[in-house]
Amino acid sequence: MNRSVERHRNVLDFALSSLLRRKGKNVSLWVVYTLIVSLIAAIVFYTHALKREAALILQGAPDIVVQKMVAGRHDLVPVGYVEKIAAIRGVRSVRPRLWGYYYDAATGANYTLMASDDPLPGPGAADIGSGVARTLHLTEGDFLPIRATDGTPTLFQVRKVLPYASELASSDLILLSEGDLRALFDFPRGFATDLAVTVGNPAERPTIAAKIAGQFPDSRPILNSEILRTYDSIFDWRGGMMVVMLGVAVLAFVIFAWDKATGLSAEERREIGILKSVGWETGDVLLLKFWEGAAISLAAFLCGTILAYIQVFFLSASLFEPALKGWSVLYPRFKLVPDVDPYQLAVLFFLTVVPYTVATIIPSWRAATVDPDAAMRS
Amino acid sequence: MIALHDVTKSFHSGKANPFTAIRNISLTIAPARLTVLKGPSGSGKTTLLTLIGCMARPTSGRIVLSGNGISGFPGGEEIRELDITSLPERFLAGIRRATFGFIFQHFNLLRGITVLENVMLPAYPTGERHGEIRKRAEELLALFDVARHANSRVDLLSGGETQRVAIARALINRPSVIVADEPTAHLDTDLSREFMEIVGSFKSDGKTVLIASHDPLVCESPRVDTVVEMRDGRILRSGSVP
Repeated sequence: MNRSVERHRNVLDFALSSLLRRKGKNVSLWVVYTLIVSLIAAIVFYTHALKREAALILQGAPDIVVQKMVAGRHDLVPVGYVEKIAAIRGVRSVRPRLWGYYYDAATGANYTLMASDDPLPGPGAADIGSGVARTLHLTEGDFLPIRATDGTPTLFQVRKVLPYASELASSDLILLSEGDLRALFDFPRGFATDLAVTVGNPAERPTIAAKIAGQFPDSRPILNSEILRTYDSIFDWRGGMMVVMLGVAVLAFVIFAWDKATGLSAEERREIGILKSVGWETGDVLLLKFWEGAAISLAAFLCGTILAYIQVFFLSASLFEPALKGWSVLYPRFKLVPDVDPYQLAVLFFLTVVPYTVATIIPSWRAATVDPDAAMRS
Repeated sequence: MIALHDVTKSFHSGKANPFTAIRNISLTIAPARLTVLKGPSGSGKTTLLTLIGCMARPTSGRIVLSGNGISGFPGGEEIRELDITSLPERFLAGIRRATFGFIFQHFNLLRGITVLENVMLPAYPTGERHGEIRKRAEELLALFDVARHANSRVDLLSGGETQRVAIARALINRPSVIVADEPTAHLDTDLSREFMEIVGSFKSDGKTVLIASHDPLVCESPRVDTVVEMRDGRILRSGSVP
């Protein structure tokens, strides 16, 4: 047992000093490998984080959202609808929601303003999303200036910055009291932006939506599944771009590994011959090449993964952000919440480290199976 | 003792260009003696060395090793007599590593790594502790007066120093047989004589030395016990040096 461990240690020791001999070649190999792993890992991290954001949004979304339509456009819905919809059998609750968009010319950012469900301490208070806090450099206790519909500037004191669970959902959010929001946007009393309907039995949702549409022909009930479909198509479209990028990265990796697989130099062949002639078995040579390949690929995997993590979660995936986030690139800038799926990380490991290590071993195996007397005749 | 019985080695059998390098050779190499295989280029000396040194297998015939110091089996046991002709590669590699020490014509040291690592190299797969291998390598380098170059790269050594490093490497696994192929081909007269002095001294440690060479400085050295003359894959004559 000890001899086997010592054998591995000795061969690993030699593999590392062997790598250092060809510093230029191995460092450039490591750099290319790291960049490829980093690109693939960034795509994997980014996709996973976006999907997680979307899932979190849907988790808090109502079963049915009821909007009022006027000439095909979204209009304010009368609060009087609430009682009638609540009376439909199967509906658990109906809640009027008050929200709107606000464009801040000073920062060029769009914010979502919403009446808070969580009672605020009083008029003039606000809870803000982390994107708003970042863009306006605000913390708790600071004042947030918002210009009302009539042009009057109003100051709101920040009560808290919203927790970081989902940036996509809360980054651009400003929560105000209902009174403040009505005053700001000059919302008429008795009207809401839309109605959030909760249904007890998920199977009944389409039936209830049909009943609402029948009872209120000017309304448009939107099912949770329809929101899901919209998100899906947005993320799928972006996912498609991801697949293209992933495909390119994987292709680059395959070419790189193939080049390595076929690229055993005459010097390396000669060295394998010498090792065999001084008593190394084919298995020892393969162990050496395995450790060489593993050292490079593990180092590249670790560095590439860390680079990707920093790029996606700390630098907001700046390399492919404009293409992938779409309208979300509009201010306020949102940062993805760091979240890595260990399964995807394991898949990435097996898709990068294993093929490279195998690609390193195969040509060496070919060279190592020649008779050791070749070294005698070289 | 190394005994060859009717050994033949052919290359490219069954192809358009078959070639027989060794033809029906029977020979006994005495232990703790210095034997020289002498002959012109193409006479089969190197091929015979590779067969004896477990680097290749004969096409026909038998090669038997006997006496003390035959080791290299997985269990680590030492055996008295062994027919190496039909052993699988794994066993041959073990015997090659433990029983034979090789000195090549071009010395075949690995460029870019240190002298010390080159000497330690044959011992790495044995599973011996790194510290012990290192200690032994340093002792060998000191013995051949190249210890000061231990951490230098081999590419920076002179011809004589390279030769001594190659000898140190051949001894790292404490082999009982030293095999050298045209070791003086690239050495001047002084270095060639120095080489013969060094390998000649191995006899007193009970090591068998086998050299393939056509260099008169080797063949006529007073250290040589037996000269085997070869030509066209056959032994012309074999005899002790008076």
